[in-house]
Amino acid sequence: MTFQSQRVAYPYFVVALLLFALQVVMGLWVGLQYVITVPQAVVDVFPFATSRAMHTNLLVLWMLLGFMGATYYLVPEEAQTELAWPKLALFQLVLLVATGVAALVGFLFGWTQGRPLLEIPTTLDFFVVAGALLFLANVGVTLLRARRWNVVQGALLGGLVFLALMYLFGMPFYPNLAMDWYYWWWVIHLWVEGAWELITAAMAAFMLIKLTGVDRKVVEKWLYVELGLFLFTGIAGTGHHYYWLGAPKAWLWVGGAFSALEPFPILLMLWDAWRSTREHDRPLAPRLTWLYVGAMAVLHFVGAGLFGFAHTLPQINYYTHGSQVTVSHGHLAFFGAYALLNLSFFYFAIPRLKGLPEGRYDERAGRWGFWLMTLGILGMSLAFAVAGVLQTYLERIRGEPYMVAQQPMRFWMLVVVLHGLLVVAGVFITVKHLLTLRPERSAAQAVEPGPARRAIAAGAGS
Amino acid sequence: MTERMAKGIFWFGTLSSLAVFLVMTVHTHRSFAALTHADALDEHVVSGKRAFERHNCNDCHTILGFGAYYAPDLTRAFARLGEDGVRRRLEAPEVVFADSYRKMPQQHLSPAEVEDLVAFLRWVSGIENHGWPPQDEPGRWRRSTQRALAGAALSPAAALVQQENCLACHSLGGTGGTAGPRLEWIGGRRDVAWIARYVANPEAVSHGSRMPAFPHLSEEQRLMIGEFLVSLPADRSTP
Repeated sequence: MTFQSQRVAYPYFVVALLLFALQVVMGLWVGLQYVITVPQAVVDVFPFATSRAMHTNLLVLWMLLGFMGATYYLVPEEAQTELAWPKLALFQLVLLVATGVAALVGFLFGWTQGRPLLEIPTTLDFFVVAGALLFLANVGVTLLRARRWNVVQGALLGGLVFLALMYLFGMPFYPNLAMDWYYWWWVIHLWVEGAWELITAAMAAFMLIKLTGVDRKVVEKWLYVELGLFLFTGIAGTGHHYYWLGAPKAWLWVGGAFSALEPFPILLMLWDAWRSTREHDRPLAPRLTWLYVGAMAVLHFVGAGLFGFAHTLPQINYYTHGSQVTVSHGHLAFFGAYALLNLSFFYFAIPRLKGLPEGRYDERAGRWGFWLMTLGILGMSLAFAVAGVLQTYLERIRGEPYMVAQQPMRFWMLVVVLHGLLVVAGVFITVKHLLTLRPERSAAQAVEPGPARRAIAAGAGS
Repeated sequence: MTERMAKGIFWFGTLSSLAVFLVMTVHTHRSFAALTHADALDEHVVSGKRAFERHNCNDCHTILGFGAYYAPDLTRAFARLGEDGVRRRLEAPEVVFADSYRKMPQQHLSPAEVEDLVAFLRWVSGIENHGWPPQDEPGRWRRSTQRALAGAALSPAAALVQQENCLACHSLGGTGGTAGPRLEWIGGRRDVAWIARYVANPEAVSHGSRMPAFPHLSEEQRLMIGEFLVSLPADRSTP
């Protein structure tokens, strides 16, 4: 950390982590409702729909707050200047959190816009827009004043403006259901396979430059290529959601062709991270931060790239569309790409915000958190996938009624919930670890001198 | 690769994809009216969509395959359940799903809301979306009808279904009434004994049912109808 105003990032990270913990707890209840029979009296007051709305909105909220915090950390360092209005950044956090809490409580009382992932009522949407405008103004003015442009900032700011613009398409009421879904995907798809990918690429490039000390020019050059491929495949690739909503048949060709290419930019990003770590001139430490960066690169590719590709072609999607196959892809992709991105950035930035020397910290509990969480999500996604394949076969191919086909899936939803327990444990450990990071080594330091151990770690890492 | 080339890839990739997307968006807007039968989209359908959103239906059900996956897809619910089937589920879910392991909340809908939701689902079931979902694809239902008709001459139960005029309310394959659920769909969910009991006295099994009782049929005849219905779903196992 070089600039005082970077400190505003920390409260964003804290709130994001607490919401993350709440999200996975709610997820456990969402999953359990597939396994057990919830009595009518409970369903009447707290239906599945409400818990699901909370689970998904918490996800969006914590991830956006994470991105915003990361931006406030990154921008001063890239632009070499203090943030324009640090106090406004804190006010913006309060505004967005208050809006989020109002929305979550509102869901419990049936106050909703009633569209999946965009349940926040229109009245509250205006507060979200106000918060986004404050954020963009703060970042934009900081960058304008600094007049030091580079592609990392450009991708980040571009991604954030793109994100804010797309949110507007989710606000109106559309009388025609097909047109409603057409523009719903402008928000959801163009976020996760457009704007958020730009933000990811920028945040990952920033971390790689800072952590490895590789030549900035090389990273920036590849960043252009990655962004070009992300947008080339991502924008027209929106078509893979337009196969079955009452849109023209040409989308089967456009959506299929563009989205079949979607794994390539992610693969390029994976290769980019790999190359940077080979050419680094600094020790790859702390190990846990690297574990997160590596897992993000790999699981982003597996969850978003491979699991996405598996059912993106219209011939396959005709049978898997709207089944638990989608859920499997959704969980692994969101975790692999965006949860791990945020957590990587937290592990990168929080030690620096706390002034721990060289950004190092005591890693032990964090490793438990990482492995429980990651293996839990992997197992969960595979169980969802088995349930999804069963559903595809029984309901879509055999033509069995929905609830008949659901019966044999219940076992696999139990497997999902059991893995969910691992995830919850892992997330709790990780959140606690991140919020209470301590300087590296206390007990072991007495046994082994610090510098020697560091040299060993460096040797093992390269 | 030079930085110039890298920037070239960025701009070419972004702008070409954006151009394709915008052209397709115009094309889609021009096609929506015909594909979604926008002329049938009256104020009841729009109020129905508002009720659908007000009660957050889409966070349990999917529609057009989008939404939550906890409850059946609603794209062809109207074709599957018929008008009364839809209405019953909206008015008295606690009765309809009394023996189901997954419940639907009682939302206390007003009669107007129920009518609007029925109108909405009727309109949605007509959207032309390249035959999705596969289990409700029209070609499949036609083949199912042909098979059922081919077997009807041999089956006394099929003759009973015709004689009792079941198809005035229910549909079999692609033909019949739209008030009650499809017969194949009933056969897929229920066993022979349950169907026989229901035919004898619907009110006793599901309070508030609008189906008339058939007390004049013998127990044997009712069981035969049950066996016939249960045999139907296997007839359409090929997509």
